[in-house]
This record gives sequence, structure tokens and C-alpha cells, in this order.
Amino acid sequence: MKKYQLGEFEELVILAIAILNNKAYSVSIKDEIESRLSRTVSFGALHASLKRLEEKGFLRSYTGESTEDRAGRPRQYFEITAMGKKAMLYTKDARDEMWKAIPKTVLQVNTLR
Amino acid sequence: MVRPPNLFLKFFRWYCDPRMHSYIEGDLWEAYRRAHAKYGKRKADVKFAIDVLLLFRPGIIRSRSKYNRLNSSDMFKNYFTTGWRNLLRAKLHSSLNIIGLTFGIVCFLLISLFVFDELTFDQQHANADRIYRVIGNRTLTGETTVIAAAGYKLSEESVNAIPEVEASTRMMRQGRANLVDPQNPVPFQETVTVADDQLLQMFDFTFVEGDRRTALKEPGSIIVDEALAMRIFGRTDVLNRTLVFSPMPQFNLKITAVLRKLPRNSSFSFNCIVSESTFHNDDDFKETMASDWASNSFSVYVLLRPQSNPDSVAAKMTRLVTSNMEREPGLRISYALQPLTDMHLKSEGIVDGARNANVDPIPQGNPLYVTIFSYVAIFVMLIAGINYTNLTTARASSRVKEIGVRKSIGAVRGNLVGQFLFESLLTTTISLVLAIVITSLILPPFNLFVNKQLSLFTVHHRYWLYVIAAIVTICLTSGSYSALLLSGLKPVALLKGLKLQSVGGLSVRKALVVFQFTISIVMIVGTIVLLLQVNYLNHTDLGFHKDLTVVIDVNTDLARSNFETVKNEISRLSSVKSVSVSSRVPGEWKSIRRVKVRNDGDNDEHGESFFICADRDFISSFELKLLDGRNFQDTHDSTAILLNETAAKMLNIKSVAGQTVDIWARHNNATFQPLDASFRPRVIGIVKDFHFQSLHEKIRPLILAYTNNPIQVMDYYSARISPIGIQTTLDQLKAIMVRNDPEDPFEYHFLDDQLALFYVEDERRQTLLSWTAVAAIFVACLGLFGLATYSIEQRIKEIGVRKVLGASVPGLVTLLSRDFLKLVLIAGAIAFPIGWWATDRWLQEYAYHVEVEWWVYVLAGGLAISIALLTIGSQAIKAARANPVTSLRSE
Repeated sequence: MKKYQLGEFEELVILAIAILNNKAYSVSIKDEIESRLSRTVSFGALHASLKRLEEKGFLRSYTGESTEDRAGRPRQYFEITAMGKKAMLYTKDARDEMWKAIPKTVLQVNTLR
Repeated sequence: MVRPPNLFLKFFRWYCDPRMHSYIEGDLWEAYRRAHAKYGKRKADVKFAIDVLLLFRPGIIRSRSKYNRLNSSDMFKNYFTTGWRNLLRAKLHSSLNIIGLTFGIVCFLLISLFVFDELTFDQQHANADRIYRVIGNRTLTGETTVIAAAGYKLSEESVNAIPEVEASTRMMRQGRANLVDPQNPVPFQETVTVADDQLLQMFDFTFVEGDRRTALKEPGSIIVDEALAMRIFGRTDVLNRTLVFSPMPQFNLKITAVLRKLPRNSSFSFNCIVSESTFHNDDDFKETMASDWASNSFSVYVLLRPQSNPDSVAAKMTRLVTSNMEREPGLRISYALQPLTDMHLKSEGIVDGARNANVDPIPQGNPLYVTIFSYVAIFVMLIAGINYTNLTTARASSRVKEIGVRKSIGAVRGNLVGQFLFESLLTTTISLVLAIVITSLILPPFNLFVNKQLSLFTVHHRYWLYVIAAIVTICLTSGSYSALLLSGLKPVALLKGLKLQSVGGLSVRKALVVFQFTISIVMIVGTIVLLLQVNYLNHTDLGFHKDLTVVIDVNTDLARSNFETVKNEISRLSSVKSVSVSSRVPGEWKSIRRVKVRNDGDNDEHGESFFICADRDFISSFELKLLDGRNFQDTHDSTAILLNETAAKMLNIKSVAGQTVDIWARHNNATFQPLDASFRPRVIGIVKDFHFQSLHEKIRPLILAYTNNPIQVMDYYSARISPIGIQTTLDQLKAIMVRNDPEDPFEYHFLDDQLALFYVEDERRQTLLSWTAVAAIFVACLGLFGLATYSIEQRIKEIGVRKVLGASVPGLVTLLSRDFLKLVLIAGAIAFPIGWWATDRWLQEYAYHVEVEWWVYVLAGGLAISIALLTIGSQAIKAARANPVTSLRSE
């Protein structure tokens, strides 16, 4: 199901948007990913994948309020479309399926060492 | 207020896709503020910079094509519409602009065609950039001659001995000889050139008939050009016809090719060439040429292989010659290679060798005038460009509303600049089209006048490349000042007041007017000075009588041997007042023999003098003044000479007392050669200096010797004739000449016509310059007229009020014209020193020239001021006489 494919970083972004629920704009998404995963995210990478996700039809954006600390520039809020939700579920199912298929012994942690 | 580093912000704004721009910039600001609060300015700046750089990636960078397609064609259409409407609405303004530019461009096109032609001489040959002329530097007893000539063996052997030389050819201009069509024997004196068969391979002369590979191979071949064929045979299909060649009557030359007439921008000017192989069987030729390494007998051209260094080839030639030639004591010789394309303009100081004394040297271009005219062309274009700038900025006030509206609905500065530049391009294009039409109409008389074959349509495409580049540059620069100025205005101020207080950088406009008038006044000064100089050249007293003098050439030995009889016959004609015999005449157009002379018993080697042989009627016939001593009397005077004052001064002879001088060498083939037997004549008289050469030359020492001297034979009869029945007199003279030598064609010149030829170039330049000056001042006045009109229009209310309060018409006119007159006066003050400096340097070109007096400047300044006054005055008077009610009625 190529239609629903999500890249690794794209998956993180769409998950963060889902968590933020209605309060998702680039800075908050960046903060969410950075705090949860303790990794840094550049605006360049973030905006590039937001744009891609929107072009694929997984996200929809609308212009929000502009604030003083943004020097009068508006926020761009994102929400997940129905197709985006399907894609998320598809990705999750695919992962779960694969997790289930892993033999138990592979993941056993060797405590003796 | 916390601000991120401006440079990176600007960079970001520049590259970012406009659709994402405001969101991302907001993010950047927010992140920057946070980082600033948390870590301080330095770290925040660094983080910001990294963010900006990481955002520089596909997907965020704007895509050019998508963005531009949005507005280009529609916007240009709109620019065109508004530009066109503007042109039509302000008819006066646009016609001033267009006429000014058209004038400027016409001048520019004409002069640049002329200059381009001068600069591209001899480039019609495909290998022109690899062809070089061999120049010999010969130093003999301390004197160096630079001469464009070399020996037979050098041209023959350099192809074998020097690997870089791909081919070599040689030619010599042997002088005038008779060419006769045996079926219709009318003698034609033609300058005959002799060349080897490589000539036609190396140069691309255009053939009408014949084969370029074989035309000059066989002995007894001759090629002629169309014009000569027409003259001799009356037709051009003359391949394989026969011509009798009078110096070698054993040869009937066969025509092996007919050439198209050589183009005007070619340094070569031959009209017939005899194959060199014709002479190969001649014993004399064989003997002399076998060892001829270092003579001056041939013009030699070489074709080098690509990427050869001409200097090293020249060094090899020098070695080749010095190792082979027979030692001549005291002679040092070296060679240089001159590019073919430099021949026309860069041959100053190079003697044109390998030609008989009666063959004219290759005509040279004058690089000084090429430079002057290039500047003039550019200046006239500049004046026209400045006009455009001034008129457009002056008219800005009437377009304020348009600019304001455009700005408030979202035009950015770039759009407005684009619009104004587009308008200036539109105006220029219209002017260019008009100019091309006018130029092609003017070109035929212009060609006649400059003696060239210029054409706008057959000229090399490089010319158009340069011209279009120059015109577009001038148009864009003149458009850009007003474009930048107008587009920078604040929209609110524009719409609120609808008035421009300081529009226009008045000072810049003033400076430009001063600049225009400075150039115009300098050109007027130059024109007046040159006019005076040409007048001086044509009317100054030359020191001899030149009017109604027929000079008859003597070309054959037979005619020469019985000259006394001929002279007697001529003098018996009733219409001939006097007749004299001489080798050269005053105001001579061919080269005059030079000799080395010293006081008898002296060892001085340097005294150099011109040498003319004359008979006893020479002085009376030309009305020369004998200052001291006596004239020639009879044949005993074969060892007597007359000196001119300059020669007497050189030889330290104050008064005639039977001094003898030693004429020990004569000029021959571009070098001085000692005489076989010394000639030690007595000085019997001194004549007053007269200009025996053109006024471009200083008067040099001159020796007049009697007709039977050992150095120089006679060449001319000079007959002073009465002004009545000139044609009958000429017929009678012809009859006498033909009776005495039927072989010799009757060839004559009027002396005053020949003298006028010396100054044809000067007159040409003067006319060209004065027309350009007229054009320049006309264009400058158009600009001034426009400026005056607008400034008066803006002050129309002020004038009304002043008038109501009692101002008089003359007072108002003075008020209105004063500002502009001031500018012209300043221009004059700047122009005079420049004009003085330029004309002074220019006049140094002439050995005899006028002195520039103060009234020239007064005249030039007065002309400029009165023309400017007329221009402004008409407008000022109109405004001052208008009824104030009309201007004050409505507010």
C-alpha cells in the first residue's frame, strides 16, 4: 500500500501533530519531538517534511493568529486529514505485524553478560 | 527590540518561496527570541544562522519558473500599454525625447560606421590575423630607416628555413608603364605591380574570371581588375586577351584573370599585376636576385602557422639574413613583423618601400582622428541620453499619481524601475528605427563625402553587436536615474500632496545641463578653430604663383631628350604666357628627390636637402623671389645651383660669393647612397623660402639645380596659360606633346587643383566635425527647451501673482531665463580651458597653423548663449505675456 507510506521522520512529525491536537504549528511540533526524543530538529527538515505531508494529502493547514514575538507573522496550524489518519494506522499495523513475527529468542536480553 | 542578524534574514527572504515565507519567518523570529532569552545574543545569532542555512533546501527555495510566469507577459503588456499612452499623451515631451535621441543615434551610427571601417581595414582576408608584413630596420652610419621592404632571398628562403612560416609572398610596385591593347593601340599609363603566384593564395581577392591557383604562375601573365579592363577594352570578359607591355616589348602579356575592384577598406590599391616569373629568364634579374638577401626591393608578406609568435619569427628572419648576406660595412639590419590588420592605422614612421618614386605610397589612416571621432560619437550619444534623463525627471510631477496608485496596490520598487526602463527602451527603439531610416537615406552623400563605401546593411555583424550594446547601455543608464528616483518616492506622500517638492534632484539635472553645454561649446570651439585652419591652409601665401598653371608630365626618355624643342613650341603658343621645365614643381604631389649636402671640404654627414632641377624660366614662371645672386643663364650653369633661404642657413651662407658645396649622396630606394662621382656645384643665388611641400610640412632646405645636372632629370613642363579658351590651349598642348612622342600619353594637372588635394582630408574632417557640433548643440537645446517649458509650467501661478502685483514682461522674462543662462555660463567657464587645451594639441599636428585668439572663445560662448537664450526666451516670453486670469482662475 504505497499510498499510505510514511518516512521515519514524517511518522514522528505526524505523531507529534496528533499528540498536540489542534495546537500543532511548527515550533510546537519541533518542541514536542525534541523533548520526547531528546534529539534536535532543524526548521529546514521540519518544514520540508510538513510541506511533503501536505502535498501527499495527509495534512491540512490553516493560518492562525499572529503574535508579537513572531514579529507579526502568522502561525500555520496543521491538522491530520482522514487519509493521514489512515496512513498512521496503516503504519502502526504494519509495524505491529512485524513485531509479532519476530521469534521470542531474538529479543531476549542476555543477562549473564 | 531583539533582532536576528540582518544579513541572514535578508538571505532568507531572498531565497524563500513566497508562499511559505511568512510562516517560516515567524518561526525563525520566535525561535530566535527564545534562544536570545535563554542563551544570549551570540548563541542565538549562531543558531539563527544555522537555521537559515539548513532551510536552504529544495522545497523551500522559491522556484524561479513558477514564480515568474505569473506576471511577466501580462505585466509587460501593461508596461507597453501605459508607456504607449504616456508617449501619446505628452506629445511635446515625447517628440522632444524622440527627436533628440534620433539625432544622437544618427550621428552615432554615421561616425561609428566611419570609425569601424577605419578599424577593420584589411580584415576581409580569411587569414588576416595570421598574415604579417615584413618590416626592415636598417641602420647605416648612425641613421635608422624603418622600411616595409625586404630582399628576394628572405621571402624565398624563410618558408624553408623557418618552420613557423607557412607561406610567403612578395610584390613590388615597379612604377608606371604603358599597357596597350594591340587591336586598339591607345597608350595607357598604369602603375604596374609585380608579384609571385603565392599572392593570390595568401590573400582572398575576389575573382571575376580566372583561376587563383594558376593566374600568376606562367611567365607573361597579367591580371587586371574590372575597372582597368573596362578602360582598355571597354568590356570585362577579357580572359586570354593580349596586352603589350612597353618596357619589355618582347613580351605580349596574356590576361589570365580579372579581379573585382578592391574594396575601399583595403590597403592594397593595385589594378594590375604582372607575374614575377615573367622576369625570371632575364639575366639581370637572375644575377641580382640570386644573392639578394638584404635589399629593399620587395614588399614581403608572410603567413604564419597558428599560434606562432611573430617576434621570434622576426628574430629568426634577422639571423637568416645576417648569416647569409654579403657584409656591407656599417650596415646593421634587423626585421620585425607587422600584423596585416595594423597596416592602415599603425604604420607611422614606417617608410612604404619597394615602390618606384612615381608610385603613391599606401594611404594611411590617422589614428588621432579615429580617436577624436570615436569620442565625438560617444559624446553626442551621451548628450542625447542626458536629454532623456532630464526631460523624464522634469516631467515626473505629472506622473506622481500613477506612481502612487501603483505603489499602493502593491507594486514593489523593482516593478516600477522595470516599468520606467521599459519605457525608455520603447522610446529608444522608436528612435533607433527612425535613425536607421534616416541614416540609410543620408549614407549615399555621406559616402561620397568621406570617400568610402559604408553601408548599414552589408557591414560586418560585429558592428551591430557593438552599436546595439552601446545604445542599450546608454538608454538604460539614462533611463535608470529617473527610474530609481521616481520609484523611491513614498506612496503616502505622493497621494496626499500629489505634488513633488524637491522632485527631481534639481542639482543633478543642472549638472547634466552644464555637462551637455560644456561638450557643445568645446565642439563649437573645435569647429571654429578647424574652419580657420582650413581657410588658412587654402588661402595663405605659398610664396609662388599657382593659378592657371598646367603641369604636363613627361614619362618617356624620348620626350625628355628633346625637351628644349618641345618647350620652344609651347612657348610659341599665343595663349601661353610662360613655360618652364623642372623635375618637380612647387606644391609637388609626388615625392621629391633628397640629397646629402655639405660645404665643400667639410666632413659633416648630416646636412639633408631636397633637390629639384629647373631651367632658367622656373623662377619667373612661378614668381619666386631671388634675394641674392643671379638666376641660371645658359648651359654653362650645369654646375650652378640656387638655394632657398633655409638651405642657405643650413650651409651657413649669408651672401652669394661663389661658394661651392659638395653633394655627396642621394636618396634612392629608401636609403642614401653615395654618388659615384662627386658633384660640387657653385652657389649662384638664394631664393626666398616658398612652400614647395604642403603646409603640413615645415619648409625644408631646397637646392635648385640646372636641367643638365648629373643627379636628377626633368619630368614636367609647367605652362602658365591665359584664362580665355582653356580647352583650346589644352588641345594645342596635346598636339605638341603627341607630335614629339606618340608613345607618351598626354597627362596634365592644374597646379591649384593638385594643391587643394593636400587639404581635402582637413576639409573633410572640418565639415564632419561642424555637422556633429550642430547636431550636438541642437540636441542639447532640445533638452533645454523641454526643461524650460516644464519649469515655467510649474511656476505659472507664481508668474500670474507677480503679474497681478505689477511685474513687467521684461522683468519676468529675465527672472525665468536667469537660472538657465547661469548654467550655460558655467558650462562656458568649464569648456574654455578644455577647448583651449584640445585645439592647441590639435594644431600641433600642423607645421603651419593659425593662433587661436580670444575672440574664438567669445564667439563660441556667445553662440551657445544666444542659442540657449532663443530657446528659453520664446517660452519665457509666452509665459510672461499670458493673461494672469487664465492661470489664477482655478485652484
